[in-house]
Amino acid sequence: MSVVVYTEAQQRRLSRVIPDLIQSRDLLIYLVWRDLRARYRNAMMGFFWAVLQPVLMAAILTLVFTVAFPDRVGATRTGPPYAVLLLCGLIPWQFLSGSLISATHSLVDNQNLVKKVYFPREIIPIATVSNSLINLFIGFVLIEVVHLGFGGMPGWGLLGLPLIFAILFVLVIGVSLLCASLNVHFRDVVYFLEVALALGFYATPIIYPLDWVLPRLLEHPWLYRVYMLNPMAGLVPAYQQALLSNHFPAPHLWIWPAVCASAALLLGAWVFRRNAPLMADYL
Amino acid sequence: MSLIELHNVSKVFRLRRGPGTLLAKGGVASWFRRRAVERVTALHDISFMVESGESLGIIGSNGSGKSTLLKILAGVTIPTSGHVVVRGRVASLLELGAGFHPLLTGRENIFLNARILGLRRDRVEQVFEQFVEFSGISEFIDHPVYTYSSGMYVRLGFAVAVYADPDVFLVDEVLSVGDEEFQRKCRVRIGELREQGKTIVFVSHDLGIVNSLCDRVILLSKGAVMARRTPQETIDFYLRQIGREKGIHTIGAGALEGIFTHGRLSLFHDQRETSAVPGFQMQIMSMGQSHESAAGDWEVIERGPARCVARGRLPRLPVTHHWDIRVENGRVVWNFAIECEQDLPLQLIQANLFLPAIYKFWIYGELSGTFPDILPGDLNWTILVSPDYVCRETSALPVEDSPLRPLVFTVKSERAYMGFRWANSEYITGARVLLAGARIPDTELPIRRGRHELMTLEIEPASPERVRAQVQSRMEARTLRCGPWSLQLERGYARLFHQDLEISAATHLYTSVEVGNLWNDSHSYNWGPVVRAGDRIEVSGESRRFPFRQHWQLEIQGQAVAFQVWLEALETVEVQEYHTSVGLRAEYDRWETDLESGDFSPFKPDDETWRHFNRNYAPGKYIKALSSSLPSVSLRSTLDATAFRMTATNAGCSQGARVLQAVHIPEGGLLSIRQGRRLIFSGLIEVGTL
Repeated sequence: MSVVVYTEAQQRRLSRVIPDLIQSRDLLIYLVWRDLRARYRNAMMGFFWAVLQPVLMAAILTLVFTVAFPDRVGATRTGPPYAVLLLCGLIPWQFLSGSLISATHSLVDNQNLVKKVYFPREIIPIATVSNSLINLFIGFVLIEVVHLGFGGMPGWGLLGLPLIFAILFVLVIGVSLLCASLNVHFRDVVYFLEVALALGFYATPIIYPLDWVLPRLLEHPWLYRVYMLNPMAGLVPAYQQALLSNHFPAPHLWIWPAVCASAALLLGAWVFRRNAPLMADYL
Repeated sequence: MSLIELHNVSKVFRLRRGPGTLLAKGGVASWFRRRAVERVTALHDISFMVESGESLGIIGSNGSGKSTLLKILAGVTIPTSGHVVVRGRVASLLELGAGFHPLLTGRENIFLNARILGLRRDRVEQVFEQFVEFSGISEFIDHPVYTYSSGMYVRLGFAVAVYADPDVFLVDEVLSVGDEEFQRKCRVRIGELREQGKTIVFVSHDLGIVNSLCDRVILLSKGAVMARRTPQETIDFYLRQIGREKGIHTIGAGALEGIFTHGRLSLFHDQRETSAVPGFQMQIMSMGQSHESAAGDWEVIERGPARCVARGRLPRLPVTHHWDIRVENGRVVWNFAIECEQDLPLQLIQANLFLPAIYKFWIYGELSGTFPDILPGDLNWTILVSPDYVCRETSALPVEDSPLRPLVFTVKSERAYMGFRWANSEYITGARVLLAGARIPDTELPIRRGRHELMTLEIEPASPERVRAQVQSRMEARTLRCGPWSLQLERGYARLFHQDLEISAATHLYTSVEVGNLWNDSHSYNWGPVVRAGDRIEVSGESRRFPFRQHWQLEIQGQAVAFQVWLEALETVEVQEYHTSVGLRAEYDRWETDLESGDFSPFKPDDETWRHFNRNYAPGKYIKALSSSLPSVSLRSTLDATAFRMTATNAGCSQGARVLQAVHIPEGGLLSIRQGRRLIFSGLIEVGTL
């Protein structure tokens, strides 16, 4: 028979996160399944949207940029076509922004659950993020298809893909835990987050390849350093390399994001744990 | 073993509940300014334990901390200080439908919700059918939940929670949802769980449910725990507390105290509640709908120390109740009047007085008896005492060692039909109910517009000695003792006892006359008072159907009782057949007459016809019933002029009695009795030794 002792100290210990999660893994899987099932139930084209959405987005951006800056786009002389590069940036970014925003909301959205049943609260944002993973995988397949369609070949870089995914996932989980727990107390977090994401979108080499801006940035070394502080600034090119090139993603691109991700995870889990026992009181 | 332990638990909320803006009190701004945050203590240093197999009730008014406590027990939130130990799996019914996703089907949601409650998948598959059956929505189980009605939604949630089979159940106010039928199902199910020895923590405003379902009740008041020795005493304390706080109105004189709360009266004697939790209330039936006084909008007009005048308008019927309640001379005098705003077909007007089940005996005019126990299967009220004559006085006596007083009720009314009936309530309420009032005869309908005085009810807590002595002397006057056995006359029949064991059953000793193909039993006559003279009892009663009376005379003759019956025709009566019979317990298995003997056969299930065993129908003199465990009983005719067939009969299986009959069938088919008296039976009843 399980014995649970509810006291402040017990519940708030960071070391309990992992055992708690392992114990409730069933519930985590079920929540992910529920959201997936529910999300596409009433949509006519169902899962197809997960594919269609990034394709249409990429198509629009490609169109806009080829019309607006034909010379710049045309300047992608070597390597994969612009549309492919764009997809490579868009898909991980959409995963990041989409899951961060929904994870931030998640506790509030599931408050009827949180306020009524005991379970490790971490499950809710984690389930939300995991739920978006499916889009990431679909996106990956999509990119490969487009890449092959434009005459590219799958390279050895793919070996680095799990690593990149892992870093991205850990990063998102960490930030999600942080934002979700703050959002319980201050609903303003979502708005901050949206602004930050808008800034991040342009501060990340998505609609432009990194080497377009690299010369300009290198003119001011401090600017370059600031730019590269953004973990996504390294992670997106690393992702592109993993997908499109024939070599393992360059370590200088993903080591900093990996450090960021670990730090975010620790911080997020700690802050979340501190807040978790009383969340029900503030929802 | 205790499944739940609370040790010095306190819970403090910061006043800012829910997210405010940044600049709000308690927000970031005040944190920067180091301004003290206002705090509210919801629970204050609470310690208690819930033992395995116990059902604990938690009561308290709104804001007393009940929900917070339940949340802490469920682990949803944690105490600010102190600690809670929970052993085993806790499921709370407060999470009804929590986590249901509207887009998913009922089936998917069951699996999901069961998972949330901590049930393994294989276990869910095992009990899935039970979930569905209990919720009663099998045909919609594969439809998305958003298409469900709110009732179906809750039913599904309840089914999952109830069948999740946790170690500890936390039950919130959920029983107030769903339709009547479903609520009943829930209560029965919770009753079952309790019988199975599950641990239940029950939080409710419905004191009746708490009282009937819980072994122990604690009262939360302003975040602190109070408990009295028994659940009833805790509830009493709570009621009195509410009564004071809401200032509804309390009247009292001496040991007697009444609390009037919105159309119901609770009665206390010596600080103990002698009414059951629903109290005393009034009910009006009109056009098949029941209107309870407690649903009315009440206003206390006069607040005296010993008098309360109140007026309550019913919500769905243009009727205003006028109550004038006084406490005087150690009794409650309660005057009822109604004011109709138009002519109304009010079919039933009665006060329902709920008494605790500890009241075990009733006295009703000349009758008396014992209330049967109320069993979990009792889903409806059972009318126990409702003779077809009006009685204006009745009493209820508690069991011997109860601190409660016997209550004597008297009704005074200008309306001849206003009287009393007794009932047992259904299991959950678990109360004895005195119905004071009447079905209004059709001739008086409709009730005209204007004010009508209905009745004055007097309720007196009497001294137990007085009432018992009264019962005793009344019983004594109606009892004939012949050595080890005795005969006790009731209205229209007599019971036989051997030592203290009742050996007669069902119909007991009675007579029946057949006129115009209708049997007219003595039970249904309108009987007059019993006259006792030494060893003799006389009584007479008038048939309500035919123009005749019967005079009975019972007299001790040695070890036997002589029983004589005269029929007095008020006009000529054509009797087809009549008999004098005694119904005996089913343990009697053999019979003999002066002509033959035989066995009583076992009763056939569902066979309600009476079957006799004689083969020889020649007239005889006596019939005797024998048993291996009970003394023999015989019925002997001493009326030589009249021939009787001594007949051994089995009554219908639901009555389950052996009946000895002395049947007279007139020669030529009809016995015409002209106006005047005629001896129709004379005989001896004897009870032998073992």
